[in-house]
Amino acid sequence: MISYLIRKLLNTIPIILGVALLLFVLLNVVGGDPTYQMLGKHATQQQVTELRKEYGFDQPLYFQFGLYLKQIATFDYGDSYAYKRPITAMIYEGVGPSLSLLLPAFFLTTVLSLLIALMVAYFRGTLVDKVVVMVCVTGMSLSILAYVLFGQYILAYKLGWFPISGYEQQWPDRIQYLMLPIIIWMAVSVGNEVRFYRTAILEEVNQDYVRTARAKGLSEKMVFLKHVLKNAMVPIVTNVVLEIPLLMLGSFVLESFFSIPGLGNITIEAFHNSDFPVIKAMATFVSLIFILGNVATDIIYTMVDPRVGLQ
Amino acid sequence: MMTRRIQVFGLLLIFALSACTFKSNSEPPNTLHVAALAAIKSLDPAFTDDEYSSNEVGRVFEGLLQYHYLKRPYVLIPNLAESMPEISADGRTLVFHLKKSVLFQDDPAFTASGGKGREMTAEDFLYSFKRLADPKLQSAGWWIFDGKVVGLNEWRDAAAKVGTTDYAAEIDGLRATDRYTVQIKLIKKSAQFLYLLAMPYASVVAREAVEHYGKEFLNHPVGTGPFRLESFNPASKIVWVRNPTYRKELYPSEGEAGDFERGLLADAGKPLPLADRIVSDVIVESQPRWLNFLAGKLDYSDIPKDNYQQAITPSKELGAELKKKGIGLQKAPKIDIVYESFNMSDPLLGKNKFLRQAISLAFSSETFIDLFYNGRALPAEGPIPPGLSGFDPKMLNPYREFNMAKAKDLMAKAGYPNGEGLPPIEYASNSGTTERQIAEFTERSLKAIGVNLVVRAYSWPEFNQTVNRRKAQMYGQAWDGDYPDAENFLQLFYSKNVSPGPNHTIYVNPAYDKLYDQALQMNDSPERTAVYKQMVDILVEDCPWIFNAHRIAFSLTQPWLKNFKIHEFDHSKSKYYRVDSATKSISR
Repeated sequence: MISYLIRKLLNTIPIILGVALLLFVLLNVVGGDPTYQMLGKHATQQQVTELRKEYGFDQPLYFQFGLYLKQIATFDYGDSYAYKRPITAMIYEGVGPSLSLLLPAFFLTTVLSLLIALMVAYFRGTLVDKVVVMVCVTGMSLSILAYVLFGQYILAYKLGWFPISGYEQQWPDRIQYLMLPIIIWMAVSVGNEVRFYRTAILEEVNQDYVRTARAKGLSEKMVFLKHVLKNAMVPIVTNVVLEIPLLMLGSFVLESFFSIPGLGNITIEAFHNSDFPVIKAMATFVSLIFILGNVATDIIYTMVDPRVGLQ
Repeated sequence: MMTRRIQVFGLLLIFALSACTFKSNSEPPNTLHVAALAAIKSLDPAFTDDEYSSNEVGRVFEGLLQYHYLKRPYVLIPNLAESMPEISADGRTLVFHLKKSVLFQDDPAFTASGGKGREMTAEDFLYSFKRLADPKLQSAGWWIFDGKVVGLNEWRDAAAKVGTTDYAAEIDGLRATDRYTVQIKLIKKSAQFLYLLAMPYASVVAREAVEHYGKEFLNHPVGTGPFRLESFNPASKIVWVRNPTYRKELYPSEGEAGDFERGLLADAGKPLPLADRIVSDVIVESQPRWLNFLAGKLDYSDIPKDNYQQAITPSKELGAELKKKGIGLQKAPKIDIVYESFNMSDPLLGKNKFLRQAISLAFSSETFIDLFYNGRALPAEGPIPPGLSGFDPKMLNPYREFNMAKAKDLMAKAGYPNGEGLPPIEYASNSGTTERQIAEFTERSLKAIGVNLVVRAYSWPEFNQTVNRRKAQMYGQAWDGDYPDAENFLQLFYSKNVSPGPNHTIYVNPAYDKLYDQALQMNDSPERTAVYKQMVDILVEDCPWIFNAHRIAFSLTQPWLKNFKIHEFDHSKSKYYRVDSATKSISR
């Protein structure tokens, strides 16, 4: 296990280098010169020259790339160009709001999707199955924007069930602002998840061991909960763990429409402002989380399936 | 048993969530609720280069001068200055006497006084002005002093050379002649300089606070203004509360004609600020902003383009539904211009006046305004917007009528009859939806006279770079006035301001420059207006822009919001607003 982890961690180095190189090239080709953004509409040539010198934009590209690698190694990206604040502080402040929104949304979506998937797998081929699948496909086909517009207009404005938008730092005031975006996240995600889990479960339903369990006289409920679900856990866990890193990025659309100051908001703003250090930090951060998510998936495999070993 | 437990847990959860829908903190009834349309980048006046940051900074920081809230045309009045400055005969020396006993807000930064805010003095202004010039800071506001104050550029250059900034060094042009007197010596007389001192950049900051908070000063504003910061989340919410040590400043007792009838003088003579608290919600998207306004969660709002038909009748009056709610509508021309620019350094467009004139004639501003502003703009005839000295309402630009026949004639004169032989022209556009639509509209308009545009859509930073590096042959943009003087619009064609300065058109004309230099020395007068007219005539004939439109601001106000008046330049205007809690409780 330890040698596996060391090997995996060593593998992250070329991946991070690849991400860094790709991002560096992209930012330098299509990123736009941040100098003009920073100096505003009355910039002078003298200021442009000074600023380029101060931030090292006048250095050769290989030198700038070297600096970027140093930032990755130390995880010190300096200050945001637009907000003039340490980026680590910005990320630290953004993680909380993003997770406040997406952890409960993700947890509730996963539980609800699994329950519905089990139900439709149990009633496979019946009208219930067909209706649920149809609803799922319809739900998946709608854009998240449609859910946001509907939710804010009908549920929040017309019915007054939720605040239209906003965010509070304090608990429990924060909860009221998170309820509607959480519901929207669930509405957007459930269809896709149900279909995936349903397929995973149905693949197990037709296995020999299920027939054996039934032949031994176990009830359908026991067959599903004790045998089918347990064996369907590998694809389910893969799906769940791989989605976790995405949660760290937040949901750009939800955070923007609901004024939630999370990482999604920070990233979008960074692209808008040519805020390269923030973009670089977020890209590295997400890559790392993805890699850690992959390692976590492998470890969890060994827990849910004794046949799997880490070598 | 298990099922029962789950049911009980579920019920408790529902109760808990329901309980959370009530705010645990109550707010005073006289609380203003406003929206910022973008995240707030900084609360440091040195970096307030956008409208929304400026509005927040204006609640806590103040400068020497401010605008009269009610009078139009816009007029400057003293703010932290006791009176308007004494100006020497040559117009180069300005002496400001400061108000006494003005305190900085209480803050832990004032360690010597145990957190009690100290008195503001002339030295604070010297420090604040030098700070704008500090090369280490790279303030976006340096332009207000750049090349204007005696010795300041030299001080800046010396600091840049040695890498350290000596704030103790004396500068000829910036002196505190006593504790309450600031003397500024200008290199050349400038009629616009006083306007610059009313901008948020020129606010006074306390050196102790800047040094105490260091990089975090932009999150810990300490000023002399009417409000003090309670909480700050730049992407979500900013809360301000009344500053208990604010000096005695009164609501104006006079305004322009009609202000009394509109109830804008009902609070005359009352001490400011009138609101106890301001909650500024950052709401970037237009739908939630609009719905929050309709739900009474915002005290005033603009009208998003997509909701215009719902709010305003074809005769540009308030719709019946909003009228029934007691909502008010205010309209005022903005001091701005929307334009399509030619790159005058381009070998094709820059050298062919007839081609530019033909293109201008083929572009219908009336259609543009209907399509993109729901009719909320006036067609522009020249660079100067209405409301400023130099704007001539009777002026008719011969190249701004929509006249295809004339345009085609000029195409022939330009050497490209029906566009024959004319290579495609690259048009740079921001990649936003509306900007893309504007590009398509321009493309279609010009095709009618045989001009083929190749639209290149860029992200905002790339667009900015393309324009600054003179790569675009044509592009569309807008200019919001920094201060109410036509010079702010005419400087967009001054050759010393070429990119990366604001003259992205790269218009270079010695005759124009000469007139511009001459106008800079003149106070507002018929003589200066005559010079402005000559400059405009040159621009009309040279046609470096398609002068497109001057927008009209439409603002909606809740029935309980008092004293709201559209003001383009006053960033501290929230100190005049009052929430009538009785009306609010009835309306809601």
